[in-house]
Amino acid sequence: MDWRRFSFIGFIIVFLFTVVVLIGGSRVSPTIIISSMLTTTIAVATPLTLGALSGVFCERAGVVNIGIEGMMLAAAFFGWLTAIYMNTVFKFDPNLSLWTGVLAAILTGGLFALLHAWLSITFKVDQIIGGTVINILAVGITGFLNRQMFFGEGSIFGGNVPHAPGLLPSLSKWLAPLCGGPEGCLGLPGLIQGTFLDQKPVALAAIALVLVSHYVLFNTRWGLRTRAVGEHPKAADTVGINVYRIRYVNVIIGGMLAGLGGAYFTIESVPSFEPLMTNGRGFISLAAMIFGNWTPFGAWAAALVFGASQALQINLQFFRDAIPPQWAFLQHAYIVGLAPYVLTMLILTGIIGKTIPPAADGQPYEK
Amino acid sequence: MQNADEKQPQPGWQQAVRAGLNAALVPFLAIVTAVIVGGVIIALVGGNPFAAYLGLAQGAFGSARAWSETFVWATPYIFAGLAVALAFKGGLFNIGAEGQLAFGAVATAWVGYALPEVLGIEIPGILHLPLAIGAGILAGALWAAIPGALKAYAGGHEVINTIMMNYIALNITSYLLNGPMKDKNPLNVIARTPEIAEGARLPVIFDGLRVHWGFPLALLVALGVWYLLWKTTLGFEIRTVGANPDAARYAGINFRRILIVTMALSGLLAGMAGAVEVTGLNYRHELGFSIGYGFDAIAIALLGKTHPFGVVLASILFAGMRNGATRMQFLTQIPVDIISVIQSLILLFVAADAIIRYLYRIKAKEERLVLTRGWRG
Amino acid sequence: MKKLYAVLVALLVAAMLLPACAPAQTGPECAKPEVFCVGVVTDVGKIDDKSFNQSAWEGVKLAEKELGAKVQYIETTDAKDYDKNIATFADEGYDVIVTVGFALGEATVAAAKKYPNTKFIGVDQFQAEVTPGVAGLIFPEDQAGFLVGALAAQMTKTGKIGGVFGTDVVPPVWRFGEGYCAGAKYINPNIELFIVYHSDVGFDKTFTDPEWGSATAKSMIEKGADIIFGGGGKTGNGAVIGAVEAGALAIGVDTDQYYTLPEAQKGLLSSAMKLITPGVFDLIKAAKEGKFPDGNYVGKAAYAPYHDLDSQVPAEVKAKMEEINKALLDGTLKTNVTPAKTEDGKGFCTP
Repeated sequence: MDWRRFSFIGFIIVFLFTVVVLIGGSRVSPTIIISSMLTTTIAVATPLTLGALSGVFCERAGVVNIGIEGMMLAAAFFGWLTAIYMNTVFKFDPNLSLWTGVLAAILTGGLFALLHAWLSITFKVDQIIGGTVINILAVGITGFLNRQMFFGEGSIFGGNVPHAPGLLPSLSKWLAPLCGGPEGCLGLPGLIQGTFLDQKPVALAAIALVLVSHYVLFNTRWGLRTRAVGEHPKAADTVGINVYRIRYVNVIIGGMLAGLGGAYFTIESVPSFEPLMTNGRGFISLAAMIFGNWTPFGAWAAALVFGASQALQINLQFFRDAIPPQWAFLQHAYIVGLAPYVLTMLILTGIIGKTIPPAADGQPYEK
Repeated sequence: MQNADEKQPQPGWQQAVRAGLNAALVPFLAIVTAVIVGGVIIALVGGNPFAAYLGLAQGAFGSARAWSETFVWATPYIFAGLAVALAFKGGLFNIGAEGQLAFGAVATAWVGYALPEVLGIEIPGILHLPLAIGAGILAGALWAAIPGALKAYAGGHEVINTIMMNYIALNITSYLLNGPMKDKNPLNVIARTPEIAEGARLPVIFDGLRVHWGFPLALLVALGVWYLLWKTTLGFEIRTVGANPDAARYAGINFRRILIVTMALSGLLAGMAGAVEVTGLNYRHELGFSIGYGFDAIAIALLGKTHPFGVVLASILFAGMRNGATRMQFLTQIPVDIISVIQSLILLFVAADAIIRYLYRIKAKEERLVLTRGWRG
Repeated sequence: MKKLYAVLVALLVAAMLLPACAPAQTGPECAKPEVFCVGVVTDVGKIDDKSFNQSAWEGVKLAEKELGAKVQYIETTDAKDYDKNIATFADEGYDVIVTVGFALGEATVAAAKKYPNTKFIGVDQFQAEVTPGVAGLIFPEDQAGFLVGALAAQMTKTGKIGGVFGTDVVPPVWRFGEGYCAGAKYINPNIELFIVYHSDVGFDKTFTDPEWGSATAKSMIEKGADIIFGGGGKTGNGAVIGAVEAGALAIGVDTDQYYTLPEAQKGLLSSAMKLITPGVFDLIKAAKEGKFPDGNYVGKAAYAPYHDLDSQVPAEVKAKMEEINKALLDGTLKTNVTPAKTEDGKGFCTP
């Protein structure tokens, strides 16, 4: 990962935070602003990070995956559905139900990825078509089942949306017994408390998975083989690597990561499912992956940029009346909202170094 | 279909029909299979698939009004489907039809309601309508030319750039429709433009039905796209760049120019979808209009095998399904979302035609459809 | 192979002709005068949105139970289908058609002119002039917002309260938000307000983004807000749930969300209600009895009971709330909220 890219990304994030501190500093203390912006940034970045990691695994092995959006949406639905079933039908304990839901979400992501792998690796269907199929299928199936199961007297749950068994607890709640109460755990300063300890399992897992993915891709034999398959499948094949197997497994790993991202929506963030609730975040993940040059750390950094710009938008609205008149354009949420998209396009033009996809990305392999 | 045209420059009509039927065989069986699978899903959740499909067919084709509404739906589908298909022919994946369509609609609406006022003259209808549609076309083409140029000169992949530009277009149109372009009528509370002038409207074909001249126009444009692709040098160059970029370079085709022109033409067609919706149907642009035409267009282009005539047929099919879904729900209470399931299944079976060939024991004849080649294009 | 083609063509033709030849399948026999039928056309949105579409549908379901009406709904998937969907009911001879949302206003009035024998109930549709056969069911959302704003201002310990809303382009949302700010400032002119509208996304997303609502509410709480008003479909629901989860108090919207958001019960202070369900039912009943009121029909706005938090609300606060409610109802107290977003976006929330 190149320095220019990281310092550029770091600069953007610091810049976004500074803007808010400058505007809102007179009303709320800067520490609180920074802490709250960090929390929002990490929360918003969580599904994006997981989606981008999903893309990194698929594409490092040479399979383009634009179906991340659909995988996340389907995982969000089936994870949530499983948690409800476990809790209301099988009478599992709420927490256990939630964890089963997370597992189901991961499996759903994996299954949709299997479909993608089957289409694009076995049938050699154009990979972008495979992804499009998954996106449309996910919208249809989640919308249809959601309605059929939960609305009206004839539905399976008789028209009463059963209570989702709550949400996954944050880390500070788990650590509470260790340090005598949820507040001031381990005597850590508020900034760290707010930023990390108040995060929940999926958000923390996303960060951990960035590290793990980096290690796996760049320091293990599996990673080496994956990259070989993505760069030069013919050569990989001649040295005895099973190209199809490597691609299958990586696509499925990618799907499971996207599935975990889906769990974030319905099991960690809010306890309900809405049709189309992923709202295009799968596509933004794809942008984050490219933004980050197909590396886990890069993808994470890019996801944080998207998170920070979301935090900026929210916070600028809080401090709407403190915005100086010469910066009045900042009052327009629509205009501020353009920033991450324009940035992504700028990055793609190569101003901070070329983004280089894996050489065989998107090409079906024929023996 | 396209193969036939290439191999036999002057095919007899019988051969042409046979070639057409041949190309349509797999999509047709894909549709049949998807409908059967969809029926099984409906039955599994306790619905009556026969009643559902009967309702669907009635709603889509059961009366003059049903046909009219199906054509109303089909009109933007054809334009947007042609946009995506043309880009595919040139080896480009235009996910940005949605944004180009929105921009086209905004530009058309502006010319339609504000231009006479700005110029301070009354524009005669014979001029105003072409101006309005022209503005929409131009806006769509320019909006799409940006990712084309970025790809040609900076290597930025058009998939990501068009997705980003969809969001940018959405934000800008939201800003415009909530602010400068909002209908200032005190009774209006919706984020939308004022109505366009009478002179800038496409008339309806039959009194009392909503189907307007945009539909015949769409058919004409489909014919035009076919002519462009197979009967002109530019079309040959586009197809060559799409089929084999390296060969195109060696053949001395100006690769970058063709990339940009292909994207601009694609955006032009998408912009036309927006322009015709505004001038023929809505008479204004409104936020929340065009929910997912750009994405449906991808499926339509694929189902139509990226051939203009295939796109027309696929558009009418998708339009019929969307339009008939209302009646299906009205009669049977089956959620309209089942349509998305069936559509994705159709797409799945068309894309993975090996499944269909296996199921119906059809030998593979044509080459596989290769549309895009990864991020490097 | 030729045979196969013949079969395919025959199938295709059959598929096209089938609907025309098949015996016309219809819904209940609504054209008969003795059968009373009520249909609902939703806005671009789902009937099960736990918000205004669903509330209107519940009013219709109530009519099914109480008045023996035959009921049915059609979900709109695209704005251009409003006319068609309304016509579907009207052509079947439905007696009352409920159209939900201000966006259907023009289509409703146009349909009423075309179908003079059908009664139309337009939820959230202000009628600038009276059209025979159309009743616009509107609500003083600003009063409901004012009430919960006053409640929040009295209950806050930090002097900071927040509000998370869908887009302010939608007048009822604007009125809820402005009413909230006006009510809070009525109690305490120096109160600190954090108000965020989800205006940065498209129209189809602004009410359906619970994840964003939750993140936004939590961000407010970190800045010291201890009561959050979540107003705007699923986005607002996300804010309510997020606020309660983060240990703050929350205020719901539209219905008494104590029942629709069980996850938030322990921290739900009240809800700013617009009573769509009874409003729709009353109008249907009036139509059946031949007393249908053309023009605007103002439904009721109210604040919901405190439920689990009843013991935490001091008696003087309860008394003050009663007093404000009464003053609003008899008109001695005015909210002074503009009916829709002002040109420059300024109002009580952004002075």
